[in-house]
Amino acid sequence: MKKNILILSLTLLAAVFANANNDAYEKAMLKEIKTMGQAGPVEEMQKSANAFARIADMNEGQWLPDYYAALAYANMGFRSQGSLEEKDGYYSQAKKHIEKANAISPNNSEIVAVQGYITMGELAADSNSRGQSLSGVAMQTFGKAIELNRQNPRAIILMAQMEYGMAQFFGQGPEKACGLVDASLGLFAKEAAEAKEGNLNPTWGKRLAEEMKERSCK
Amino acid sequence: MKALFTICLFFLVNLTLAQTMIKGTVKDAKGETIPGVNIFLKGTYDGTSSEVNGTFVLETEEKGNFILVFQAMGFKSQEIEIVLDGGEKNFNPVLREAINEMTAVTITAGAMEASDEKRAVVLRPIDIVTVPSAMGDIIGAFQTLPGTANVGNDGRLFVRGGDASETSIFIDGMKVGNAFGTTASNVPTRTRFNPNLFKGSFFSTGGYSAEYGHALSSALVLSTVDAPVRNQADISLLSVGMGYSQTLVGEKNSLTASANFMDLSPYQAMVTQNFDWERAPYGWDAEVSLRQKWGKSGMVKAYAHTESGGMKIWQKVPGTEGRGQLVDLKNHYTFASGSFKQTGKNDWSYYGGISYSNNVDEFTLNQIDIRNQNQIMHAKAVALKGFSDKFSLKTGMESYFFNYEEGLRSEGLVWDFTDLQGNIFTEADYYVSNKLVFRGGLRAGHSILADQTWLDPRFSLAYKFENEGQLSFAAGKFSQMPVEQLRIAKPEVQNVKADHLILNYFLTKNGRTVRAEAFYKNYKKILTYEGSQYFYRNIQQTGTGYAQGFDVFYRDQKSVKNTDFWVTYSFVDSRRKFAQFTELVQPGFAPRHNASIVVKHFVSKLKSQLGGSFAINDGYTYTDPNFAGQMNAKTEGFRDLSLSWSYLPKPNLIIHFACSNVLGRDNIFGYQFSPQPNEAGQYESLPIRQTAPRFIFLGIFLTLSKDKTANNLNNL
Repeated sequence: MKKNILILSLTLLAAVFANANNDAYEKAMLKEIKTMGQAGPVEEMQKSANAFARIADMNEGQWLPDYYAALAYANMGFRSQGSLEEKDGYYSQAKKHIEKANAISPNNSEIVAVQGYITMGELAADSNSRGQSLSGVAMQTFGKAIELNRQNPRAIILMAQMEYGMAQFFGQGPEKACGLVDASLGLFAKEAAEAKEGNLNPTWGKRLAEEMKERSCK
Repeated sequence: MKALFTICLFFLVNLTLAQTMIKGTVKDAKGETIPGVNIFLKGTYDGTSSEVNGTFVLETEEKGNFILVFQAMGFKSQEIEIVLDGGEKNFNPVLREAINEMTAVTITAGAMEASDEKRAVVLRPIDIVTVPSAMGDIIGAFQTLPGTANVGNDGRLFVRGGDASETSIFIDGMKVGNAFGTTASNVPTRTRFNPNLFKGSFFSTGGYSAEYGHALSSALVLSTVDAPVRNQADISLLSVGMGYSQTLVGEKNSLTASANFMDLSPYQAMVTQNFDWERAPYGWDAEVSLRQKWGKSGMVKAYAHTESGGMKIWQKVPGTEGRGQLVDLKNHYTFASGSFKQTGKNDWSYYGGISYSNNVDEFTLNQIDIRNQNQIMHAKAVALKGFSDKFSLKTGMESYFFNYEEGLRSEGLVWDFTDLQGNIFTEADYYVSNKLVFRGGLRAGHSILADQTWLDPRFSLAYKFENEGQLSFAAGKFSQMPVEQLRIAKPEVQNVKADHLILNYFLTKNGRTVRAEAFYKNYKKILTYEGSQYFYRNIQQTGTGYAQGFDVFYRDQKSVKNTDFWVTYSFVDSRRKFAQFTELVQPGFAPRHNASIVVKHFVSKLKSQLGGSFAINDGYTYTDPNFAGQMNAKTEGFRDLSLSWSYLPKPNLIIHFACSNVLGRDNIFGYQFSPQPNEAGQYESLPIRQTAPRFIFLGIFLTLSKDKTANNLNNL
């Protein structure tokens, strides 16, 4: 009997322990996702990136911490006012994290969308010389992200931005891009309505769509 | 039950213990503070980041022995063992700079790289194929870069006073034999390979790595595309032919197959030619390229290219009447290669491959049937070990198999030779810091036919300044066996030798690139002879020579909106005793002053890219037998203005129009003289001219794929 109780209590303890660990993970993630949503300049984003990198180290089977770390570094690249070398440094960190996330969760539409987002950043950093080689890669990647999940508003709004740039380059109208913007806005609304308390999955990007709607698709 | 209580109690106690506060400032070796450092206790959620002024505060409730980690971009991570026991702790770590592949200094002496991935590059791959004067030939674009000479009646690559055979061409590291199409004398040739195949190129005009041998003056290393992005079909309709290419992309592999057909007859019927063609150049080619991912980071590639073509041309003989002699030429060519690269454990990586080239030329010249066959096999295996981020060592083995046969078949005369060469090389890179790198290499080889063993040491270094400009220096010994047409006449000939010294300054910043280079090269053991091919006599290896000079390159993509231009000037002072010459002379392929300008401008309204290029030099030397001396005369300078217009009406359709020598200048590359003087005692001459006053190119390129925006811009 004594032995049984011991086993039982140890099992319970293990469950509590695992749960505690899981709670700690969720708590840390929720806090950092919120912080990142409010982070403005590069220095604040760096803190978010660091925090997600730490969570990633602690939770090797989870793709989300590396995903957010990659997103933070990509945002740093976009927001940086520094040199091309500095921006490329952020993008290379972003790639490191997104590749780790991709290894944990292959064929994940959200991860593929961020891969495309990073490529888009590298393109924007030096569009003169990278435009030709990277615009195809970026569009291809967003296309893959949409194919993996047609309900992913982030993949769609990012694709809309590429489509818009392409249309401008070739002197065509923005109709196709704006159609995508509207589609993404619908999906963002649906996503917000369905979101549960304590959701860790990506929900960013709505502001991008609204801004683009305002600026280019009136 | 007791046990459970104890355990619970243990936890409670643990949680209520006092906090430890870790404080400090993170600095680099120069004493500057580092912001954004990730600071954490390994194995816990506890961590923080350093502030803009480098300070940090980390509070933790953990207790016991832990490892405190400091991580920051561009620095090596630092780990410190600490004991957490409440209270306050101070740490002021100094982080050491990590060698950053992307931002560290690179050796640019002699080198001009075109890549989308790397940093210290002169061009992007796309720039190469959109040079107006290039007409889609890779080499045409390199002729607008410093260190090269435009030799319009040859078409091959002439680098810094060296002849065309001194440039070795490699695809994915493997040697390509007869990379240029066979042609009649004074009819310019082109490379056999479609620019679309390549994602980048490394062109060195001297001082290159010990990895590249059998190249006296220059190495051109082309890398094929790793992973095409989509399934697509490319259709091209040209004024001189047509082509089709299909790409299929799988999860881990891809296949591209293409076929092209070319015939200049209809074109020559419409556009005036300077030459007397019996049959305009024609040909077809087919190629297959396979790529397979190998594990996580490895790649295996296979590539095969085969082609066949020919031409018939009447070439006037000075001092005689009539059309002259008829040259009837047919060429069959195959190149096949397989290559691999793989990353191993513990910072080992490996690459290598095998290639085979087979070139068969069939001539009829003055009713004599000639057949020449050149076969080259090249195998190579290289291992690279990174001992730290500062020191890496590359070691490799190579073997070459050469077989050449030449014969006057109608005369029943056939000769051949076979040579086997073994080579080993090793090269070490040592980064003192992100700003200073040393490279030392050693290359050894042995030829069975020549019964010769050689050792070529090479050395280079580069230093990066605060403004991102960098200075490189390179020196080394280089060797190459003489061309097969001479080796067959005297199989025991030895390597021709050259020493290179190069000083280079390179700066690329904000869309502008400046490159300046000074060089000195001397030659030993150059071959001299009497007679001509098939009948060489008195071959000696006592020729010497030198080439010295400097070149400058400036490229600007920023100053004028939507415009990219580059300007090049090269000065070469070269003299050598070679071929039939009995003293040092300036070779006909080494003009002293060479300059070129390339401008490309994009006009959104017209959906078009307009391009122009202008090349000029001070003329080619030649020997006029009517006067005393060797290389005693010089032609007028070469000048060429080429214009191009690429129109993109739809994202997947390109219409490209280009015209060379728009001004119609009658460029002369030298003169041919009659072998005997006429009655008046004069040697009669004929100028060596361009094939036509102008070359006009019109192409329509259509790409079909699911992605409507894809196009084959790379074809231009």
